Amino acid sequence: MRGRRAAASAIALTAVVGLVLTGCSQQSNTGTSGDAAQAGAGFPETPVPEQVPGKPGGIFRLGITEPTAIDPYNVQESEGSLVAKQLFTGLVQVQPNGDEYPGVAQSWESNDNCTQWTFALKPNQTFSNGEALTSASFKRGWERTSAKASASEVSYHLDQVQGYDEMQAGTAQQLSGVNATDPNSLVVSLKEPNCEFELRTAHPALSPIPTVAGGADNATYNDLPIGNGPFKMDGAWRHDQGIRLVRNDAYTAGEKANLDAVEITITPADTGADTEYNGFRNGQFDWARMPTPVYQQAQAEFDPQGKWLSRKTAGINFLVVNVTKPPLDTVAARKAVSMAIDRAAITAGVFQGGQSPATAFVPPAFPQTYQPGVCDACTFDPERAKQLAQEAGFQPGTEINFQFNTGGGHEEWTAAVRQQIEQNLGIKVNYEGVPFRDLLDNQQSPTVTGISRLAWSADYPTAANFLTPLLATRSIGAASPNDPALGDNRGRYSNPEFDRLMDQASATKDEAQRDDLYKQAEKIAIGDDLALIPMFERQQYRLINTEKFANLGMDFYENPTLETITLK
Amino acid sequence: MGRFITRRVLQGILVVVVAALLIFLATFALGDPFASTGEKAVPPEVAALNRAKFGMDQPLVIQFLHYLGNLFTGDLGIDFDQRRPVTELIGAVLPNTIILGLVAMLFLLLFGVSAGILAAVRRYSFWDALVTVLTTVMIGIPVFVLAIFLVANVSGIGPFPPVPRSFTVEVPWYFDVLLPAFTLAVIEAAFVARLMRGSMLEVLRADYVRTARAKGLPERTVLGRHAVRNSLLPVVTFVGLTLGSYVGGAIITETVFQYNGVGYLLSRAIVNNNAPVIMAVVIYTVIAYVVLSLIVDILYAYLDPRIRLN
Repeated sequence: MRGRRAAASAIALTAVVGLVLTGCSQQSNTGTSGDAAQAGAGFPETPVPEQVPGKPGGIFRLGITEPTAIDPYNVQESEGSLVAKQLFTGLVQVQPNGDEYPGVAQSWESNDNCTQWTFALKPNQTFSNGEALTSASFKRGWERTSAKASASEVSYHLDQVQGYDEMQAGTAQQLSGVNATDPNSLVVSLKEPNCEFELRTAHPALSPIPTVAGGADNATYNDLPIGNGPFKMDGAWRHDQGIRLVRNDAYTAGEKANLDAVEITITPADTGADTEYNGFRNGQFDWARMPTPVYQQAQAEFDPQGKWLSRKTAGINFLVVNVTKPPLDTVAARKAVSMAIDRAAITAGVFQGGQSPATAFVPPAFPQTYQPGVCDACTFDPERAKQLAQEAGFQPGTEINFQFNTGGGHEEWTAAVRQQIEQNLGIKVNYEGVPFRDLLDNQQSPTVTGISRLAWSADYPTAANFLTPLLATRSIGAASPNDPALGDNRGRYSNPEFDRLMDQASATKDEAQRDDLYKQAEKIAIGDDLALIPMFERQQYRLINTEKFANLGMDFYENPTLETITLK
Repeated sequence: MGRFITRRVLQGILVVVVAALLIFLATFALGDPFASTGEKAVPPEVAALNRAKFGMDQPLVIQFLHYLGNLFTGDLGIDFDQRRPVTELIGAVLPNTIILGLVAMLFLLLFGVSAGILAAVRRYSFWDALVTVLTTVMIGIPVFVLAIFLVANVSGIGPFPPVPRSFTVEVPWYFDVLLPAFTLAVIEAAFVARLMRGSMLEVLRADYVRTARAKGLPERTVLGRHAVRNSLLPVVTFVGLTLGSYVGGAIITETVFQYNGVGYLLSRAIVNNNAPVIMAVVIYTVIAYVVLSLIVDILYAYLDPRIRLN
């Protein structure tokens, strides 16, 4: 999903078109109730496909919305990642389940306090144009991303590297923290300890780049990137129409892809799910999203055929709470609100069983750190909620502001939340839908109170990617309480103990110990303080053409596992 | 005539400047486009770099003057998303929109004018009633309903490409353009038919038509040379403005058919808050309107000498 501005203000016109299209597909589905999903628990996950030997060849077809960029320097949403991940293989790669495995680097290690990382590269790597790939290719790529002139919106994934600030300020032309003197080894110095830094190198912004790329303003390369991935471009990106990839037969960083080609058709942002669904039905696509109203019918029809894929992914829907301002500046008040919400009823009703209620903040896609039930106030208990409300001093005249963004499909569930809070706590909810820009501005504003909706999905497969940006004091991004919160911690939660645990985790080499520290931190922020209110675990559904293709799964970034797909 | 044109051109430039100001202010009311990627906040330093890159760190007045200056030298800037020149974006889709507009116009004139003439000449006949009923129905259909109906029921069948069609399958342009052009034409053809009928009936009652008939001219000549030509005046205005809207991109039709024209470009730019593209397309549309209404005025003068002499 195009996150960036797709959710932003949509004009009435396109909204109308979208509504009508949804209406049409809804209409054609009346009369088929199908297997009802487990009430309010999300559809069960389908098993991960077993890897079977398959034939090479075939053309895999799917639809995406127009990406912001496929040139690594500015790849930001899942569409851009889908393409960039096929074109570029970084130092480290991520399995669909979040496990890391070697990409171009065959091994990596850090010093004792995790401030210096050394990546040993596989020998004899090349780009698809034949150019040799060495540690200098990574240095080049990272400098290209972090250069001031690039104005990359994702360069901050490099912000822990020494010299990044100077690059952004334009006072340096080289990243001082990256040493590429040995072609087969890349040495990275960090400003602060990070014992999971290698996971960051899986982000496309940290890809290796050949010399032909030039600067980030090289329009030719922007549309026709040359990389070292399992696929390469088959002609330039045809904007708003499509992108065609073909197998890179010279791929050496891992197993060669089996597919001959991937044909990506670009669909409109606001009706993409309908388009893909219809495209799958008429045989145009081998992989498709679908609009929420058809979930049950699609599952009933395609699950028995083995064409239904259901996966809990690394994301969460939650309510931002302004914890520094009344009426939600006490734990009791926040827990009262949370316990007044019947998440199961909402997932069953509004989402057609398509999402699961959340009982933790770190989602189950991180099995090592997932703590179901750590949010003890995430259960629906109107009696307890009333008691807590009394404790918090809620009166019948108490008012809570609740904002959501319009045009993003959040109207129905937020309306249900509002109704439940009002009904179960006997207070007034000032419920307001605003354009996404305004929601963002309001969340950042120092004077705003109450709750608002937000969602988060992982950039890297680590719990820290949830806990730090959304709950750490330094992620508030405000110099004083009277400044706007420019970071992602817009509820302005701050707890020294939580910060201490997170810093300690970041500097802890032992994985099990680190995970334990994450769990302790989550217990404090969510279990004790309920700094924000978890709502639903992110779950994704796709229709997949298993008649023609095998080894077809969903990767960590919710895209098809293109590099493993084979013909049947 | 020369002074008339000069005055109209200057008026046109003023209209463009005022429109530029309005759309400039409107798009800036949308808020900071660089504050976040999706739901994630972009660090303030990175956002500041982007604002600087797009000149948004300047005072609003300077930004506007800068924009206006660039506008008159043909530089529309680069878009927020992919950092491509906006002129290139529009240039890539403009030919498609022009083709769509011309084909739709052809349909419009063919159906609209002939139906209007038929209804007027055979007044109160079956044909007149049929045209009245049909045009009423056609005017009542919202354009997106017709477009969605055609996408759902006609595209993908026979030679008509499915929506969306795979970009690697090349379809002859005439099959690509047929359905959207028909959608665009059919509803406005109803207006043209109505206009033509009314105007024609008025002209048929005029003295010079009676005179022509009295001179014993064949009916074909009476209608063709005298009646139709004079009845076309109000239709020309309407058709001119219609063409303006086509050139500005038939937003709904192009979006539903995913026809890669200016209107589709605009609808995507609005969804993505891509201000430079929104501004450029709107201003381009205003310019198209100004030019077309100028052409309409000149055509008017040509069709009706009285206007020319005044």
